[in-house]
Amino acid sequence: MQPRRPELKYAAPREQRSAWPLLVIVLLAVSLLGADSWWRPSNSDEGYPSRPLQSESEPVLSPPPPIDEEYFPCSDCHEDELADPERRELDEHDYIKLAHGDLWCLDCHQSDQRDLLHLSDASPVRMEESWRLCTRCHAKRIPDWRAGVHGKRTGYWRGPKQYRTCVVCHDPHSPLFKPLEPMPPPIPAGDLRASSREEEEVPHAEQ
Amino acid sequence: MKNIMAFASFFLKEIVRGGRTYYAWLVCLGLLIAIGVAGYLEQSVHGHIVSNMRDPVPWGLFIGTYAFLVGVAAAAMALAVPGYVYNWKPIKDIVVLGEIIAISAVIMAILFIMADLGRPERFWHLLPFLGKPNIPYSMIAMNVMVLNGYLVLNVVLVFYFLYCSYADRPYNRAFFMALMLFSIPAAISIHTTTAFIFNVLPARPYWNSAILVPRFIATALCAGPALMILAFQVLRKAANINIRDEALVKIAEITAIVLFVNLLLFFAEVVTEFRSATAHTVHMQFYFTGIGDDVGLAGWAWFGATCNVLAFLLLLIPRTRKYPVTMNLGCVLVFIGVFIEKGIGLVLPGFTPGSLGEIYEYFPSRVEAMIAIGIAGVGVLVFTLLSKAAIRLTFSEPLEEDGHLQVEGSPKGAYRPDPVRP
Amino acid sequence: MPNSERKARSTSRRQFLKAAGAGVGTLAGVPGAAQAFDLAEFFQAHFRELSREELEGVIQRLERKYSEKFGKAVTVDAVGPNDGVLFGYGLDLSRCIGCRRCVYACVEENNQSREPQIHWIRVLEFDRQDVIRGIDFEDGNPFYDHEEVPAEGKVYLPVACQQCENPECVKACPTTATWMEPDGIVVIDYNWCIGCRYCMAACPYGARHFNWTEPEIPADELNPNTHYLGNLPREHGVVEKCSFCIQRTRHGRYPACVEACPVGARKFGNLLDPDSEIRYLMDHKRTFVLKAELDAKPKFFYFYG
Repeated sequence: MQPRRPELKYAAPREQRSAWPLLVIVLLAVSLLGADSWWRPSNSDEGYPSRPLQSESEPVLSPPPPIDEEYFPCSDCHEDELADPERRELDEHDYIKLAHGDLWCLDCHQSDQRDLLHLSDASPVRMEESWRLCTRCHAKRIPDWRAGVHGKRTGYWRGPKQYRTCVVCHDPHSPLFKPLEPMPPPIPAGDLRASSREEEEVPHAEQ
Repeated sequence: MKNIMAFASFFLKEIVRGGRTYYAWLVCLGLLIAIGVAGYLEQSVHGHIVSNMRDPVPWGLFIGTYAFLVGVAAAAMALAVPGYVYNWKPIKDIVVLGEIIAISAVIMAILFIMADLGRPERFWHLLPFLGKPNIPYSMIAMNVMVLNGYLVLNVVLVFYFLYCSYADRPYNRAFFMALMLFSIPAAISIHTTTAFIFNVLPARPYWNSAILVPRFIATALCAGPALMILAFQVLRKAANINIRDEALVKIAEITAIVLFVNLLLFFAEVVTEFRSATAHTVHMQFYFTGIGDDVGLAGWAWFGATCNVLAFLLLLIPRTRKYPVTMNLGCVLVFIGVFIEKGIGLVLPGFTPGSLGEIYEYFPSRVEAMIAIGIAGVGVLVFTLLSKAAIRLTFSEPLEEDGHLQVEGSPKGAYRPDPVRP
Repeated sequence: MPNSERKARSTSRRQFLKAAGAGVGTLAGVPGAAQAFDLAEFFQAHFRELSREELEGVIQRLERKYSEKFGKAVTVDAVGPNDGVLFGYGLDLSRCIGCRRCVYACVEENNQSREPQIHWIRVLEFDRQDVIRGIDFEDGNPFYDHEEVPAEGKVYLPVACQQCENPECVKACPTTATWMEPDGIVVIDYNWCIGCRYCMAACPYGARHFNWTEPEIPADELNPNTHYLGNLPREHGVVEKCSFCIQRTRHGRYPACVEACPVGARKFGNLLDPDSEIRYLMDHKRTFVLKAELDAKPKFFYFYG
């Protein structure tokens, strides 16, 4: 068979009309129709298992942390005698570093019944409800705290959940948060390797 | 049907027939492919951690080269326009070779994507009907559809043309011209969707500009024809065929014009970016000047830009365009310049600094380079095999006994290309 | 396209895939439980196209696979979204001290690879001076390593997936492997993802992470209570990201990061419930989102409490 030069003869239009172009177009159209993602992704109506959520729950206030048994109840050492109202450093309770604004001990602790705290109008507050005292000065915190926006919540966003009384997070004698040691920083991308279980050292880029 | 089988067997026979040089060339390509296979095996075993891509720069050599190659593939239409739209014979002769370059480039591009995927065995998830492609929103899905369509189009065009040559049959003009003319907007569309992959992302301000689309088309129409000019000269020598110099010079002229457009768009980008001086300018700064202590890609940026400017001058001035040494130098320079602009200068500054401001300096790893070499070998092999058969069918006269081709009108065995007159 | 037609086509497609899988399996003569190449896994359809029985089959296969791999009883949940729920998140920047306890609680809860390391949450440290005119992420440093935090003159900004209402990653994904669920969580089907990383390029917040090699989790640190779309152990070559602890939140629990934060900076709830914490802070605090100009509409709200 002799190979040909590039000049080919053209066919007469009528004789060799081919059905190829139509076939190609049809195939393209069919394949495009098969792609059924023309609309935004939505949930398949087959569905997959769904379990109803628990009902809404009132948040539970977690109790304050226990006070050292060596010192509580205060009435073990202190009788009902009135305390000396003069502001001073207390020798016995020197382990307490007081750094709460301009306050000193008897501004919060009752001077006669030492197991209780007191509000500014002298009405008593129990240790378990110490938040009532905190919010006297820090009233702006109350709505946020009740709503869960101030302070930590754990448990279920819908279901039983716990929120915390003030002293769980804030030491009432020195309320400013102490700095924490941070957990380790992430490994920079340039130093990322596969685990050492692999024999060869995989190459990595300069960071 | 019998004719088709005969054509197929002729094709296969032609591919394996050849002299010592031909086989040496195939062995070289085989070596390159073997390197690529070794690299890919290493990547399959360990995963992409053997590359230097990481979370801040999730794309690197593979995607940059993919964008470049889609451009090269699109440029086949740079021949179709003067050849068939304007009916200029010198180029009409070589359109089929241009399409073969397009086929090789598309195959390479697809291989680069497959090498880049984390789960290449799941590629069928991209196919319509079997998979769930996210069209029309996902530009990668659109690009895959259009690119495969373009591949099919070119394969049909080339093989139909060659079959008609072989069978001494007149080709169906309506069918052929329809596909040929359709290949022009098809070529534009493959590279437009490739540009869309990058420029529709608001998260990457370096890319998020409409000008990326014309820049892609312009760079494609520079690099593709430049490659063709070089490849056709190699073919001309290796296969002793008549590709007219005026055809090559005309392609170089087209390249020069498009290179001007490319430089203009590039200039527009640079001025806009540095004059506006918003927070987004940091990406272009990383590319041209580096940030702080990081020298960044400054060396590559200036080298690439210089290549483009020099190439433009060489191809613009008629004396240097027509003289083969400077013409070829211009083509090599524009090829390198566009590769830097699209491979390095597109992907990396887009990711550096990253979304949360991190700077990760990426450079291809050994394994990535091995895989890239292998895929380049595959592309050149495809081009070699297809063009061998195509040349035999479209450029040759009856074989002499000693195996040399004879071109009509020239003394037997003494064919030389026309000397270029300054 | 009407649902019945879509169901009919996806049914026929599933049947085709099943037949193809069975056919190839017979030809390959795969004996018993082949570890190297699991045909059922290869031909598994997209999560949203699985029928009830197929989904149960997939769950059983995955539970078996991961229980064997890690030597403990792994459960894979596939519970769907609850009606009337759209999740939102709040982060109190006046409280974050940069301690990174959220980062590591997330790593444990969601089975992230230890080697190579993957963190879904990234805490950026800024100089107080640098954020006066707004946040420029280049000024942020995630690699700080002080002895104590908060460090003097620094502020902290934790960033993870913002669960956008108009997610760029969902638009970008070529195989629809990531999508937004009706309850607002942007999820990934790890068995459908092809690992092209286009979503990582599309995400404005650097929230998506790729498994560059096979992830490594010590068996004793694995969280065995998993959800298919959340903390299911991943494999190499797929993308992962924060899923709002879908295995917890769809059962009504807080995400792990919310519970881990020692200063209560993290808030979570249902945006459609006017009495929720998240709605309260949107009503009473001034919230903002990152990169608002991109209009991704994140459901992750930063505020100063």
